[in-house]
Amino acid sequence: MNPRRVAITGLGLVSPYGGDLTDFFARLTAGESAIRHLSTDDQPQPLSIPFVSCPAFDADAELGKPLASMMDRFAQLGMAAAFTAWADAGLPRAADAGSRDHWGVAWGTALGGTLAYEKGYRDLWQRGRDRLPPLTVLLGMNNAANAHISIQLGLGGVSMSHTVACASSAIAIGEAFRRVRSGEAPVMLTGGSDVPQAYGVARAWEALRVMAPGDAKTSAAACRPFAADRRGLVLGEGGAALVLEDWEHAVARGARIHGEIVGYGTSCDHSHLVRPEVAGQVRALNATLADAGLAAADIDYVNAHGTATAEGDPVEIAALRAVFGERAETLPVSATKSMHGHLLGAAGAIEAIATVLALREQAIPPTANLNPDTLDPACSGVDHVFSGRHGVSLRTALSNSFAFGGSNAVLAFRAVTR
Amino acid sequence: MKSIELIRNFLNARQDIEATKVVPEALLADLGVDSLMMLELIFEFEDRLSIKLPHDLKSPKTVGEMVALMDGLIASQKG
Repeated sequence: MNPRRVAITGLGLVSPYGGDLTDFFARLTAGESAIRHLSTDDQPQPLSIPFVSCPAFDADAELGKPLASMMDRFAQLGMAAAFTAWADAGLPRAADAGSRDHWGVAWGTALGGTLAYEKGYRDLWQRGRDRLPPLTVLLGMNNAANAHISIQLGLGGVSMSHTVACASSAIAIGEAFRRVRSGEAPVMLTGGSDVPQAYGVARAWEALRVMAPGDAKTSAAACRPFAADRRGLVLGEGGAALVLEDWEHAVARGARIHGEIVGYGTSCDHSHLVRPEVAGQVRALNATLADAGLAAADIDYVNAHGTATAEGDPVEIAALRAVFGERAETLPVSATKSMHGHLLGAAGAIEAIATVLALREQAIPPTANLNPDTLDPACSGVDHVFSGRHGVSLRTALSNSFAFGGSNAVLAFRAVTR
Repeated sequence: MKSIELIRNFLNARQDIEATKVVPEALLADLGVDSLMMLELIFEFEDRLSIKLPHDLKSPKTVGEMVALMDGLIASQKG
């Protein structure tokens, strides 16, 4: 079967800013942070961290109480993003029997239904309960989000969850892309969701000493990728979804096409669980360019992984310099995690959306909290985007996702020529 | 709390079903109670009423059958 072109016909997001996609991208290009200070009354040690949450998200209102009560929050965020992307693609929720037998879901989540299990542990060990609610397993399982999405949208093809830490949803999108490109699936719903504010999860991340500190006054600027004074990453919750569709299928039904996904590459550092390697990231970048049939000179923007950790940022820039050579000096690079935080299993998906919107709107969001004076010399050598750029000419762009465990994933997107 | 009140409260909280629809002759399936929700309902009963339902419980079909089952268990287990 000949390879198919793959259109992006639907985008959906539970935005940390609370608005729609237009609002999301406007705030990103304005350099506005969605990061706030989170404080809890947990014992023995309350959480007091910069965090990104979706406070406007009301699962009962978005999904209806019967459906929402069958899901942990990660699946609720995922389902809401999926419904939004599906509507954005102009696809009805219900279908004729058999008509979606080959349509599928590929979903990313690093944590799955952690809140359900955490509640269970508290019930058993803190509250002295002797048993757990019967839905606990079904709320907690990692494939809950993709299962609910398949059920609600009547998708009879593959339904997969991908758990690859911070690259989960980039890999989900890439695997979905391959299934559409090969002709196996005419339509794939893909993306990711995660909810890292479970007390045990947040404390575990604290123990790794990679989380940026911050209080009520300083949290908004706590995440400073590529800056010499960066202190680490900021976690966040969220859900983001894309509808990938066979190009001819999309054109035949008159769908609006946001952009095209043209390449996907993965690699593993195979050296260390948390210390990233230039060589591994280079392999993923080169694999993506080869997969897309693109040369380094064709790339006009890179949405970086850029978590603002001490070790990660210089390695990513070194990998970009190795792949792009002299072109790197003029290659626009930004890390939008500086504003929407690190959504773990949803990170690749929200950044893929930001990249597609950059191509569609011909505008580049900046790395917030970074300027020429604060740039770490170890992260220099690319064209860092210090403030939002409008009216630029973008043809193709990459989105990087590099995970603990050494798994790397890079996606390539192309603008729709108008 | 009466058994039927507990069923009504559960179905309202879980499914947004009005109390007036939860009458003895109503079929549980018509109220959206599938096998999974029956497990939740049993869990709720055991929790709220401090009783234990047997593992080989024969699933009731109507609200009235459910109420009769619960009332019987309450009477036998609480004496």
